[in-house]
Amino acid sequence: MQHPESISVTAPALQIDALAHRYAGSQQPALQIERLQVDRGEQIVMTGSSGSGKSTLLNLVAGLMNPSEGTVRIDGTDLHALHGHARDRFRGRTIGMVFQTHHLLTGFSALENVMAALMFSDIPRGSHRSRAQTLLETLGIPTPNQRVERLSIGQQQRVAIARALACKPALVLADEPTASLDPDNASVALDLLQDACRASSAALLCVTHDRRFVDRFDRHEHLTSPIEQLQGALEGV
Amino acid sequence: MAMSDWNIVTRSMRTRSFSSIVTILSVAIAVGLVTLLISMRDAGENSFKRGTGNVQMLISKESGPLPSVLNSMFYASAPGNPITWAQYLELQRSYPFAWTVPTQLGDSYQDAPVMSTDESFFSDFQPAQGTSWTLQAGEHFDEPFEVVLGSDAAARLGLSLADSIAFQHGAPGTQGGHVHDEFMFNVVGILEPTGTAHDRAIFTSLESSWILHAHDRREAIFGHGITTGIDDLVDDDMKITAVYASLGERRGALVQVLSALLRDPEWTVANPSDSVGGLFEIVSNIDQVLLAMAIAVMLSSGVSILLALYNSMEQRRKQIAVLRVLGASRRRVFSMVLTESAIIGLIGGAIGIGLALLGGVIVSKILVQRVGIVIEPSLPIDGYLMIVLVSVALSCVAGVLPAFVAYRTSVVRALRPAM
Repeated sequence: MQHPESISVTAPALQIDALAHRYAGSQQPALQIERLQVDRGEQIVMTGSSGSGKSTLLNLVAGLMNPSEGTVRIDGTDLHALHGHARDRFRGRTIGMVFQTHHLLTGFSALENVMAALMFSDIPRGSHRSRAQTLLETLGIPTPNQRVERLSIGQQQRVAIARALACKPALVLADEPTASLDPDNASVALDLLQDACRASSAALLCVTHDRRFVDRFDRHEHLTSPIEQLQGALEGV
Repeated sequence: MAMSDWNIVTRSMRTRSFSSIVTILSVAIAVGLVTLLISMRDAGENSFKRGTGNVQMLISKESGPLPSVLNSMFYASAPGNPITWAQYLELQRSYPFAWTVPTQLGDSYQDAPVMSTDESFFSDFQPAQGTSWTLQAGEHFDEPFEVVLGSDAAARLGLSLADSIAFQHGAPGTQGGHVHDEFMFNVVGILEPTGTAHDRAIFTSLESSWILHAHDRREAIFGHGITTGIDDLVDDDMKITAVYASLGERRGALVQVLSALLRDPEWTVANPSDSVGGLFEIVSNIDQVLLAMAIAVMLSSGVSILLALYNSMEQRRKQIAVLRVLGASRRRVFSMVLTESAIIGLIGGAIGIGLALLGGVIVSKILVQRVGIVIEPSLPIDGYLMIVLVSVALSCVAGVLPAFVAYRTSVVRALRPAM
């Protein structure tokens, strides 16, 4: 197995090769990607219609599911060659995730939510609080000790971004980060997410069905389902 | 301070505070019941055995050995069938006793029984094996109409040296008993606690008690306004109700005397220690049923932990999934749920011990007041620690299934946006 530290200097943040995934009981793949590379610090947006496999892609890249075929390398490490505890630790240290509905830990403060991510990192425990405070301050959270359910939706989004970046990840995965926001707030949220990723040199893979903001990213990829790919091929013939 | 698994677990419990408190209380009640029963069982038997002191034989004319021991040594009620003084002297002469103590019960002051006896009660009879009587104040009675108070009687009745009291005919609790207010008794001494039923008694001389009853007899003949003294006593006035006896170290003689007295239909003879053992054999069946019920309550509290945690899993699936995304392993979330159940067991166990100690004090007070037996339920510290440990272990067992649910939580499914 490759040691992540030894190759991370030159390895891309994300490299996908011949990735395919079939759900149990289905012959038809739900997702098929020949090759996709996201370099360090690069920001790409992936659009696609419903059923195109956007969520499946994120779950595979986060190591929450195992692919039927192909490899996913994060920062040079073959993610699915890691198992159990090792993969969980690797995910915690290397990948940050921002969800459409934030998925913050209710009952905990904004500060505690960010520190919860740091619990599973290699960052020294003594610096967790100050790092979380700095991140929240940078993202404009004036009351870091307030419980997250008492924050506005926009503030919750900021806390979610801070949490995703807490462990200095190589890659941030954003799942429909603007879906629950109006256009103005969506723009602000994307600004924050993109700026924060740039500031920490993290690559950003954002999946969305919203095409309004694709120009903001370094690259735009459109994900088509295997059925759409087949239909396209047939039309070509 | 950085976040830790402990913070996550305790905060999670606080978020569901009502459910957590109810579950902890159910554990506490179960642990309290089991602890109280176990400690009562030991303390009860020990207290009874301790209360028989160095008496090898209790001789009376009661209906059986057990009532004889309960009435004459534990003050359960006034003994019937008196022994005349002449019969007592004859008994003394007939057998090679090391010592005998004549006792008479039948009067009371408020809820304290009055034990009429002589100085041998304090010199020969040891309230608990190997202990002797000591006074915390004053001196032993010497003259008629002097009393010495048991420590508990003095404290509860609020009496001190030089106070005067009048006895009532009948055992404590007797309604409408005649009060002998023509004879006032002076408190001349207060005893140190002995941890036996004698602590709640009042002691006076046999002569004093005989004079009271001779006065009643003489009033019936001569009318009111007469005085009665020791010279007015006749044989029929001089009665006792039981004899504490011992043959000392002469085991062979003890067996002979016991068998001779057992053959004599005139006497009821009891070996107090055996009678107490017999009593506990009788109650041990009830005791086992109670213990089984307490264990059933403890098991049901384990089930309540299981249900409380299992039901909370539905609400916590998302939290668990988020922690997994952040890097927590399956094993770690498993141990977090198990830690939560252990905390419930620990807090419940500790509160349960507290409840048992409190319950012990209450039960002990009730027993002293109603039965006159000093039982102080307590276990050695190891015993309490073991009970808390069992509570934690049982809670952990109850937490395994919910922890397994947490272990198996599908992150993808739990974080899927609601449709």
